[in-house]
Amino acid sequence: MECDRASALLHPLIDGELGFVGRQRLLRHVARCGGCAGRLSELQALQTALRTKLQYHRAPPALAARIGAAIAHESPSLAPARRRLFGRRSGVPAGFGLAGGLVGAAAGVALTLLVTGTPSRQSDAVGAVLDSHVRSLLPNHLTDVVTSDRHTVKPWLSSRVDVSPPVRDLADEGFPLIGGRVDYVDGHQVGVVVYRHDRHIINLLAWSSPSKAEEGLKTLSRQGFNLMTWRKGGVTFWAVSDLEAAELRKFALAVAAAS
Amino acid sequence: MQDDRRRRFELLALPHLDAAYNLARWLAGNSADAEDVLQDAYLRAFRYFDAFRGGPDIRVWLLSIVRNTFLSWVKENRSSRLVFVPDDHGTEAAEPAETMWGEASRDPESLMLRAADSGMLNRLVEDLPTEYREVLLLREVEEMSYRDISSVVGVPIGTVMSRLARSRAMLRHRWHAQSAKEASPKENRHGV
Repeated sequence: MECDRASALLHPLIDGELGFVGRQRLLRHVARCGGCAGRLSELQALQTALRTKLQYHRAPPALAARIGAAIAHESPSLAPARRRLFGRRSGVPAGFGLAGGLVGAAAGVALTLLVTGTPSRQSDAVGAVLDSHVRSLLPNHLTDVVTSDRHTVKPWLSSRVDVSPPVRDLADEGFPLIGGRVDYVDGHQVGVVVYRHDRHIINLLAWSSPSKAEEGLKTLSRQGFNLMTWRKGGVTFWAVSDLEAAELRKFALAVAAAS
Repeated sequence: MQDDRRRRFELLALPHLDAAYNLARWLAGNSADAEDVLQDAYLRAFRYFDAFRGGPDIRVWLLSIVRNTFLSWVKENRSSRLVFVPDDHGTEAAEPAETMWGEASRDPESLMLRAADSGMLNRLVEDLPTEYREVLLLREVEEMSYRDISSVVGVPIGTVMSRLARSRAMLRHRWHAQSAKEASPKENRHGV
């Protein structure tokens, strides 16, 4: 392989976009070529720097309420005759200032909905796991016990639920432990262990299953989130995150290997 | 019924508020503009929600709306900030020398990681032309696949790849230039 071609492929390589054969071919070249090896390590260093040091701007808490209010305000006026095309000048609906208190209350209701769960539209396990994940993303809902020390998380969870998801130190694999919580999923108390990959939160849930049959990794995608599930030793596991499927799979494999 | 539709929208779209805000904030460059863009984007998404019909990935759909809202918003001159003209000629505006990786530096782990100062890296990313900055963010912060980035930005995958490669090369180039600039006055001071 020529260096020109190899250099162009270094980007898809670090982005996980090369197939197995292409990756092997490129890595063989890199092993023999000092120039390309240097470029690769620079690229990886840059990627690491960007992923760890770039500022992540979280939405200010008031913004969710403001948007909720704007949507509530919009809702009744959606009749075709009154539908406005995009491009209003002011970001805030005209009545917002006057009706602030009232509309704010409506937004409160809209947001509470996220906390208290959906009106039973998703009664299946996938929906329940997803709800748990979505709830966890709200301010102060992620963890009950916050620590990267598994010797703290493990006993905390064990004293509260029958089955605890594996609590491991997976920092070396790129999945540092953040903490744990107890959640209600499908009407049961369930232990949740929270991991992170860069800025992506991963919730790992586990509960005992009536079936003892083992089941391999299954991937699902719903509402912009990826989910992986498997069953081992009479325990059903769920991992859920907005992490891309390939990365979440790595996580699931690391957990499965450790449990 | 209207309530139902709203509830469904909120359940699907609000969980991605942070991702949407982060993109808007990086595009707009300040929080006041980002908040206005995001509110417009969410209203717009709500209006077109029926067209989404539970497609495969609401995050991709939402982020593309955030991006397009930002562009319309810029066209209306509502931003105080200097922004790019979003067409492919924009890519030619960058100096060619800046967009090529060139030789690897001899400094093994390079300067990238030595930066305890993440401020400079953030500033350099802020200064990238918007069409480079957005693909870089979608890739490194949202960790999206090339295919998803191509859906959000609305360009072919090949364009995503070349913009990504150029943005990284540009960043590296400017990083080295900046580091050299910051290092040299000190040496002079010591020299005198």
